[in-house]
Amino acid sequence: MRTINIYHLYPGYLNLYGDRGNILALYQRAYRRGINVNIIGVDPGGKIDLGHCDLLFMGGGQDSDQKLVAEDLKKRDRDLKHAVENGMPILAVCGSYQLLGHYYTTVQGENIAGLEIIDLYTEPGRGRLIGNALVKCSLWEPPQTLAGFENHAGRTYLGPETKPLGKVIKGYGNNGSDKTEGAVYKNVIGTYLHGALLPKNPWMTDYLLQKALTYRHQDNHLEILDDFVEIQAHNTASRLAGLRRP
Amino acid sequence: MEEREKPGVNKRNNGLSNYLFNPRLLVAIWSGKIIMKLTRILGRGGTTLPGRIALFFAPQISAGLASQLRKGSLIITGTNGKTTTTALINNILKETGYKCIHNQSGSNLTWGVASTLIESASWLGKLHEDWAVIEVDEGSFPEVTKSVNPRGIVVTNIFRDQLDRFGEIDHIQNSIKKGMELLPESSFKAINADDPSLAGIQPQEQKNIIYYGLELDSPSYPFQNTGRDIKTCPLCSKVLAYNKLYYAHLGHYYCPSCSYRRPEPEIKLTGYQVTSTNSSELKLNVAGKSFKTTVPLLGTYNLYNILAAVACARGLEIPLNIIATALQKAVPSFGRMEQFHYKEKNIIMALVKNPVGANEVLRTILNQEGKIDLLIAINDNIADGTDISWLWDVDFEQLLKHQERLNNITVSGIRAWDMAVRLKYAGLDSGKIEVEENLHRALHLSLQYTKPNGKLFILPNYTAMLEMHKDLNRLGLGKSYWDREAINK
Repeated sequence: MRTINIYHLYPGYLNLYGDRGNILALYQRAYRRGINVNIIGVDPGGKIDLGHCDLLFMGGGQDSDQKLVAEDLKKRDRDLKHAVENGMPILAVCGSYQLLGHYYTTVQGENIAGLEIIDLYTEPGRGRLIGNALVKCSLWEPPQTLAGFENHAGRTYLGPETKPLGKVIKGYGNNGSDKTEGAVYKNVIGTYLHGALLPKNPWMTDYLLQKALTYRHQDNHLEILDDFVEIQAHNTASRLAGLRRP
Repeated sequence: MEEREKPGVNKRNNGLSNYLFNPRLLVAIWSGKIIMKLTRILGRGGTTLPGRIALFFAPQISAGLASQLRKGSLIITGTNGKTTTTALINNILKETGYKCIHNQSGSNLTWGVASTLIESASWLGKLHEDWAVIEVDEGSFPEVTKSVNPRGIVVTNIFRDQLDRFGEIDHIQNSIKKGMELLPESSFKAINADDPSLAGIQPQEQKNIIYYGLELDSPSYPFQNTGRDIKTCPLCSKVLAYNKLYYAHLGHYYCPSCSYRRPEPEIKLTGYQVTSTNSSELKLNVAGKSFKTTVPLLGTYNLYNILAAVACARGLEIPLNIIATALQKAVPSFGRMEQFHYKEKNIIMALVKNPVGANEVLRTILNQEGKIDLLIAINDNIADGTDISWLWDVDFEQLLKHQERLNNITVSGIRAWDMAVRLKYAGLDSGKIEVEENLHRALHLSLQYTKPNGKLFILPNYTAMLEMHKDLNRLGLGKSYWDREAINK
């Protein structure tokens, strides 16, 4: 039986915007295809057995939590980088996306050192970028849209070689000015989109599941599921993107 | 009863004669009142526009009106429980013999408060009430505190709520702190001792703080997925430990590495039992004196609301027997487990708006016996919060264990499909979930599914609740909230 081990950092700290929904989506879509999924929650200071991890998920956190988590992650960044180079998939949303870069400066001016996994940095901007967003993503063929909700004060800028996750159709994206959203390096994906992101973008969920299966040298074929409900939710969110601003 | 005289209140009253004949103030009141009438003729309970227009003409309108109150005003803020706590305090004050103004939930932003005061004022801009009991949104708390100069405040709790509007918890905490700093020194502060984010806001040597908290055994159900929104010590940022944890981050906490711990509450709940008639039988202790009362409200979250109201009454030195009598007469507030009967069917409406509140509502309804029909309605209008990701932090997985008791589940509202996905990924059979985005049609559909003597639980978020309430009114059930207000007076 095919098995995937998903590590969730840190369910008690980085869990701001319904991030649990991403884990549930991965779990349900694997389960429906008879793939066994183990979800391992890790607390700060706890052990991540990277030799055992097929997919790493990191959510969003408040500034005060993020600081705590950044310090903890810094201690393991060599192992983490090694796994990334070997193709371990990571999904990092919002706060932890910012942690993937060189640094993150809070609105108060405090500098939080990043993990330097992706060439990007984050600086504070005036006002938060909030609302439904729609992004065109070409990680798979044919390209498909990602619908989600963004809410961030930080403006993320990508290095010249860094590939964005997608192009903003509606909403703000990384910084509200260059129309990029998120970033990709090898199988690491960082994004500002929550909502939660994966439940109403099932193609993204399946992409991650396939990467996780491949990483563990397992058959990565995924049978097609009935996604009527998910697609309806995706369409609602797409329609709302760019329409209303709080 | 005897009231301590507050010198500040009198001083403001003397300066008022100038204010009364201030043409700007009158223009503001009139325009506010006229717009209020117009919106009601149009069938809306408009609480935003009248206040906004009035504030445009006279930014000091709330201060001007509030200063006329014979006793003063009280502010209730915090994430959950504001509406119920406000209603309970209102009941206690009425039982004492006072005349009160109180606002409805949804009018708890700066302009909503202005609307409420304008509505109670005469066309000449006079107020004749003793107290204004005002629920205030955490974000508007500093501004409203500054303008109405309250005699006392109540802070219920801080949870994650409407992140799109407030930003993060740190933000809400700062807003509440700012409001507290603007308070007159003589004003009392009734504060939830069990919420570690609140006790840390005030320096310990502060006077006039009345802490309240639960002194019960830990609940038997395990700690759920919501997570604790507050995890670390506000003084030294180490992870907090608990002797008892009631729900979310509320409980008997202490910091293992510094001196920070739950303050000893003056107002305690020492006993709690649910009666056969769905009331809560309570044993309370107020500054060493015990008394018992039965309150027709359910749920752990309501225990905190009751304690908050008692703490506020303690701040006003209201005798315990009056408090006990007033609590017995409590009724669920607008859309808070409000009950209706229609064609031998029971309809119970409970507002859901954030993970902690929704989890407690789910737990309370699943504790009831028999078959259950569910209608969950989720909008994402600005008043609801446009970010609905919190749905993923609600333990809808609780429903799985009760699947055989679930007769029908309908989801509705602008984000009906998101809700459907949420339930699908909770593991429920998506084929059994009805999706009807239109609230009106969804209500009628659900009522058709509900069998005679069955129970239909409607769980809407804020604007969905307002809309469905109107539908229920059309069926001859309940009253619109402005009519209810008129009756209450």
